[in-house]
Amino acid sequence: MSIIKTKDLDIGYNEKTIVKGLNIEILKGKITALIGGNGSGKSTILKALARILKPQHGAVYLNGESILQQSTKAVAKKLAILPQSPTAPEGLTVAELVSYGRFPHQKRFGTLAARDYQMIEWAINVTGMSEFASRTLNSLSGGQRQKAWIAMALAQGTDTILLDEPTTFLDMAHQFEVLNLLKKLNSEQRQTIVMVVHDLNHATRFADHMIAIKDGRVMKEGKAIDVTTPDILKEVFGICADVIIDSKTDTPLVIPYGTIGDSSKDHLQLLKESVVG
Amino acid sequence: MENVKLFSYQQMLVNKKNQVLRLICLLLILLIVVFVLSMNSGFIRLSPWEVTKTFLGFGNHKQELILYAFRLPRILIAILIGAGLSVSGAIIQGVSRNPLADPGILGINAGAGLAVVTFILFFKDTATQSIFLLPLVALLGGLIAAILIYTLARKSGAVSTVRMILVGIGIGMLFKALILLLEMKMEYHQYVNAAIWLAGSIWGSNWQFVLVLLPWILILLPYAFSKASILNIINLGEQNATGLGVEIEREKFLLSGMAVALASACVSISGGIAFVGLISPHLARLLVGPRHEYLLPVAAVLGAMLLLIADLFARQLLSPNEIPIGIVVAVIGAPYFLYLLAKSTG
Repeated sequence: MSIIKTKDLDIGYNEKTIVKGLNIEILKGKITALIGGNGSGKSTILKALARILKPQHGAVYLNGESILQQSTKAVAKKLAILPQSPTAPEGLTVAELVSYGRFPHQKRFGTLAARDYQMIEWAINVTGMSEFASRTLNSLSGGQRQKAWIAMALAQGTDTILLDEPTTFLDMAHQFEVLNLLKKLNSEQRQTIVMVVHDLNHATRFADHMIAIKDGRVMKEGKAIDVTTPDILKEVFGICADVIIDSKTDTPLVIPYGTIGDSSKDHLQLLKESVVG
Repeated sequence: MENVKLFSYQQMLVNKKNQVLRLICLLLILLIVVFVLSMNSGFIRLSPWEVTKTFLGFGNHKQELILYAFRLPRILIAILIGAGLSVSGAIIQGVSRNPLADPGILGINAGAGLAVVTFILFFKDTATQSIFLLPLVALLGGLIAAILIYTLARKSGAVSTVRMILVGIGIGMLFKALILLLEMKMEYHQYVNAAIWLAGSIWGSNWQFVLVLLPWILILLPYAFSKASILNIINLGEQNATGLGVEIEREKFLLSGMAVALASACVSISGGIAFVGLISPHLARLLVGPRHEYLLPVAAVLGAMLLLIADLFARQLLSPNEIPIGIVVAVIGAPYFLYLLAKSTG
């Protein structure tokens, strides 16, 4: 069952159209990864799903209702977005940031009710941020900061969370921490998660559904095993890659060995060349 | 177990609130101290006892005249303007996410000033009677300046910190040059008055000035405070704000308009006093952090205090002559601005 659906969506900035005639469906309760090269339009699509970018044409439906036809506050109760590398004002504590997540549920003067505190509590604990609750964001490491932002999005109490490259600028341990957290939220809370992911192996490992984008168009969508084939990778990313099945996780593992220009050469030979010189 | 923990985060947020309330009380007491000091000092000194006696209705005629006709309106003006400009600066900083923004530095004060000077020059006969119109005239000038800054500083959808400041300083200089041109056309005494007013001065404040300014402050400050939670969200950036359900374009427009109106109303009474809108929000942020529920009131009280103290210096330093208060503030404010500029990364 789909929770978000787009219909003939044209998206762009000013006069330029980046995405044209997009029709996609986001499955409820699943993790969907948007993949594609730089400038492919994957972030643009995510922003349109979250109404940050108004489409030039077409519509986005959330639970069957057009998101631009309801108040932005009403949408905020059902859909949260975490933009790429968000910045918080200096001196803001984790608990304060997470409390901002309750904004769409509050009355005019922003006083917090028992239900709000309950959600803040849950969001801080489920992200493992309880020991940092009173710390300011700028005193935290990149990974902890990202988890604080995720906690804010969770406090919003929505069924769906969109994330734009949630693991950029994080080291490998923190990348896995964030992705495992998202996986946990998906499996335990039935959260629908849509994320733009740069690292293909993260996408294959953590996503139930993948949508490969190139030049603003969907090239292929489906399960990881169907999307990450050498042919499609060549087409979408312009890379030559081997795909093997990782025995530990039983998911496809992409091993890129060159760009299309090198494809005439045998990749083993290429590997040898790169080792030698 | 769940309940105990729930209580702890709530406690954390409530504790902070109480802490800020205590701080505001402390600042208000300090403000009263400076207020009394300010009442005492001047060309004719009055002891605190004489001040109290006069307030209770036992003073002689001379003491009453000094306090009620001269000092009290002037002190009230300083408080209102300090609070108004500080909240204006805090809002502009919040909306633009630019810690260096200030209505004076950005040329909004100059725009308001130009409008007022034009009005005085061309309607000099009616200008004194229509003093209640001055804030509206100033608002028109302030809005034109703000719209110019917004259009010129915007490049491919984004407004960078330094670009905004540079454009603002440029526009301020343009308006100041235009003011100078207009002043050339004035008669000597008019010119002197205009020059002193533009440098930022509150001498000669009378009850009429207080009455002109008071409604603006009384309406706009509470309105600004009521928008604190929205300012918090806007402070997280446009994308986050949209995601959290803020109608960003509408709210930014409303808040900027409010900030310009506050600054313009102040300028129409006191002339251009720059840097107050920069310094007090900054000090407030250092004291209570970036949440606007706390930041706005603390900045308002700090701004009032700052101007009262500056006014004390303005009266005392070259006594019996006075220095325009705007110049006293600039002597402190300009180095502070340069320090912040050197520290900024954007």
